[in-house]
Amino acid sequence: MNTSKDVVIIGAGPAGLAAAVALKKKGVEEITVLEREDNAGGILRQCIHDGFGLTCFGESISGPEYAERFLKQALELNIEIMTGATVISLSQEKCVTITSDKGLIKIQAKTVVLAMGCRERTRGALAIPGERPSGIYTAGMAQNYINLCNLMVGREIVILGSGDIGLIMARRLALEGAHVIGVYEVLPYPSGLNRNITQCLKDYEIPLYLSETVTEIHGRTRLNGVTVSKVDQNRKPIPGSKRGIPCDTLILSVGLIPENELSMEAGVQLDSKTGAAVVSESYETNISGIFAAGNVLHVHDLADQVSLEAERLANGVFEYLTKKRLEAVDIKVVPQKGIRYVIPQHISHKKDFFLSFRVKRPMEDCAVELIQNGQIIMKRKKIRLLPAEMIQIKVPEKSIQDHGEIEVLVR
Amino acid sequence: MNDEMTCIVCPRGCEMRIVDGHPAQVIGAGCKRGVKYALNELRCPVRTIASSALVDNGTLPLVSVRVTAPIPKDKIFDVMKVIKKIKLSAPCHVGDVVIKNVLNLDSDVIVTKNLPER
Amino acid sequence: MEKFDVAIVGAGIIGCAVARELSRYKLKIGVFEKNHDVCFETTGRNSGVLHGGFAYDRGSLKAECCLEGNREFDQTAKELDIPFKRTGKLLVGEDISDYKSLLEVLDQGHDNGCSELRLVSEEEIKKLVPYAQGKYGLFSPLSGIMDPFQYVIGLAENAKLNGVEFFFHERVNKVSRDRSGFIVQSKNKKIESRWLINAAAMGGPAISEMAGISGYRTTAGKGAYIILDKKTGLYLPMPVYPVPNNSYMGVHVTPTVDGNAIIGPAGDEIEDGDDYSVSQEIIEYLSKSASRIWPCIRKKDYIRNYCGNAAKWYDSKGLIYDYKIEIRDDQAPHFINMVNMESPALTSALPLARRAATLMKDRENLHINTSFDPMRIRVTRFTEMSDREREEKIRENPDYGEIICRCEKVTKAEIIQAIHNPLGVNTVAGIKLRTRAMTGRCQGGYCEMRIVKLLQEELGVSEREIIYEREGSYMFSGKVR
Repeated sequence: MNTSKDVVIIGAGPAGLAAAVALKKKGVEEITVLEREDNAGGILRQCIHDGFGLTCFGESISGPEYAERFLKQALELNIEIMTGATVISLSQEKCVTITSDKGLIKIQAKTVVLAMGCRERTRGALAIPGERPSGIYTAGMAQNYINLCNLMVGREIVILGSGDIGLIMARRLALEGAHVIGVYEVLPYPSGLNRNITQCLKDYEIPLYLSETVTEIHGRTRLNGVTVSKVDQNRKPIPGSKRGIPCDTLILSVGLIPENELSMEAGVQLDSKTGAAVVSESYETNISGIFAAGNVLHVHDLADQVSLEAERLANGVFEYLTKKRLEAVDIKVVPQKGIRYVIPQHISHKKDFFLSFRVKRPMEDCAVELIQNGQIIMKRKKIRLLPAEMIQIKVPEKSIQDHGEIEVLVR
Repeated sequence: MNDEMTCIVCPRGCEMRIVDGHPAQVIGAGCKRGVKYALNELRCPVRTIASSALVDNGTLPLVSVRVTAPIPKDKIFDVMKVIKKIKLSAPCHVGDVVIKNVLNLDSDVIVTKNLPER
Repeated sequence: MEKFDVAIVGAGIIGCAVARELSRYKLKIGVFEKNHDVCFETTGRNSGVLHGGFAYDRGSLKAECCLEGNREFDQTAKELDIPFKRTGKLLVGEDISDYKSLLEVLDQGHDNGCSELRLVSEEEIKKLVPYAQGKYGLFSPLSGIMDPFQYVIGLAENAKLNGVEFFFHERVNKVSRDRSGFIVQSKNKKIESRWLINAAAMGGPAISEMAGISGYRTTAGKGAYIILDKKTGLYLPMPVYPVPNNSYMGVHVTPTVDGNAIIGPAGDEIEDGDDYSVSQEIIEYLSKSASRIWPCIRKKDYIRNYCGNAAKWYDSKGLIYDYKIEIRDDQAPHFINMVNMESPALTSALPLARRAATLMKDRENLHINTSFDPMRIRVTRFTEMSDREREEKIRENPDYGEIICRCEKVTKAEIIQAIHNPLGVNTVAGIKLRTRAMTGRCQGGYCEMRIVKLLQEELGVSEREIIYEREGSYMFSGKVR
């Protein structure tokens, strides 16, 4: 079955749904959202904790409720969402091949929105040495098992990584009566939001150990313990500092990786700093008509940010569909001292753009500067900047010069 | 008595400090809600909790639930005990009140996901 | 007590090859396996290479069986539906001393019957494997790579089809004799059998002793491997090995039939064959060592690592180097001992099995099983079908349209067929090895939950009964509610 559409959105999570709703409201008719799960919502379906919706709806609601708000709009706007549909191929010419229990479908899209989200870093990728027992789960898997499958992963829990997912799971496990022995973080500062340290760890008296990591896994059949060691400033284990922690479950919260296999297949250029697409101010990738937003582009702290980014992307897609192409984006935006990455990586000077970035290390009493042609075109003083918190700044068109790289740095 | 805390109202997580006195002063709050949180946190800390309830005949075995208003921190596990006993029947809808005014804490336990029948 | 003609101890590559070979005859055959499946020990933890036959002593049983197995493997792969590629293999060396070793290997290879083995220049090395590093090379055109899981599963499924019975999770703990033959016992099974064939690896000496031949012991040669992402596999068209000697092949790099690259093996000799741990030092050593012959190894491409323990047999004279298939008619009649079945066991398995059968045929009349069917067809994979074939398959079975493992594009139909496999085994790892689900970048992060759900639905197992691989590797402590 072959059809053509104005927009094909890959993923019905917070990014995909928000983009679909925004585009329909603008009057784009032929939209299809593709979702491989049987239900739309993406990762929100398993994020049952509240804290979503503060920006978009002015309330603190759970992940499923947040997804439902967009889904309701999508239904009311008659947006086609195909569930149980997996994209198995995406070509540079924007031909999307999908498989579902109804057969193979090829859709020729005028524009494609990449909204596939991200996957979790695994034990294998970290190469944590030791034996091969069962009982090791990434935080997202544990969350899925507990919240969606009614399966309890274990009783005596060690969590590696203090990213938000790990912290949320620490609380979830404690609420369900498991004993969370501790959260171990290899960096000297937490990776997740400070509020989560309070409401997920301190509230439940779960200790947080900084500059420590799991250096060995024990257990022939089921996990029976881990060895943790203190690490130095280069993250190398300090000899003599190791100790054994008996436990039956290890939860890994050690990083999220944008899921860009389809993007690569389509020839989308990736930024090595994000592992994700290089995009313009309109969230268009180097392939004309292919756009990206949400966690597939860079890992966000909040679903609200994802939805707002997707809405900005929708403006870009709309402009592309009506004008057939977008402004040339000849000005590069480059991260410099202290900045891990920037989105977008190029802009035109013809409109305001939304800059998103993260710092490499916690910084206090500092200033973010945008420098173009040797001049500071923008400066923002900040009391505190953390790698765990994405910073977003709107850069007005009038501040941008018509040529020259923009360097983003923090002093 | 000085008390330091991280605000949990919004993701900014402002680091605040309370200096005791009449009235007590809150330093470091980024907004009014933060001040309110800080003052409350000293007297009667409250939290929202979310968990799962068993469902019969639904497309999933559990449905997510949460409390509609923050409950006292020291009552968290009492509320969890009540939540663990819940048995619902599909279909469930967002907003369904499962337990009104749980343990008399001025907070309801509501369903937060639409779950159709199998 | 049930009476069998043949009892085989061990369902690894040797046990399954012997079972399949003997199922050509009218024999009642039972195979005892301590694990929950056929591929959990060394058979499922190796490089997956079809060896050329040149790296073994002249006149050895290893050289003979390896060559035989290599030459017939196209037929074997066809019959048992084993993913297999005759890629060739490249050996590389850096200096004159390496060159001299390669000349010796060339000589030995020619004497062993590998007439196509030839030296290659530095230029040719670059043509064969552009990223390989070496000044001197040896090319074995008939070497190849295969899926070892599908191989042993194929042998077992075909043996089962032809009447062989398998007893899983039944470790043989007692062997004794009565008038009619052997009594073989495990936890829940006790059978009588006229013949006993020992295909146990680490546990082999103990079985041998119980059957009447003592004097053997085993240690384990640990071999750890790192698996790399398929992106790097693109740079490795065939296995590349450093200059070998006849007892150690060195840390090599091998493509898998699915397109990954694996680096290994390396490790020490240990006593405990169940110790599958991998240390930090070994991982670093593997990467460093293999980078010298193939500098494409990056930590960001690590998918995971694993380890196999090759059983090394010793007798009173010391380490045994060659294969030994023995029968001692006066000391232990009707007992065939498969001794030291180490690498190249995958390649040599069926030739070895035939020799074991010959020992039986020399002592009694074996009647042909006229209904023997050599063919085994594995589960059709979505990834191996054209779009046209996919359309048709989905019409026939809509579950072929539902992707469960998105990294490896494994469909619900394949998972369900793996759950209902002919051997009746049901661990999560067994499903993984049969379908390739969970072996990709996300290591089950997306699909494991769905596979567990299907296992529960299809087999009605409770959450505490679901095990990952070994006995005791439970996955869940219970329900949440």
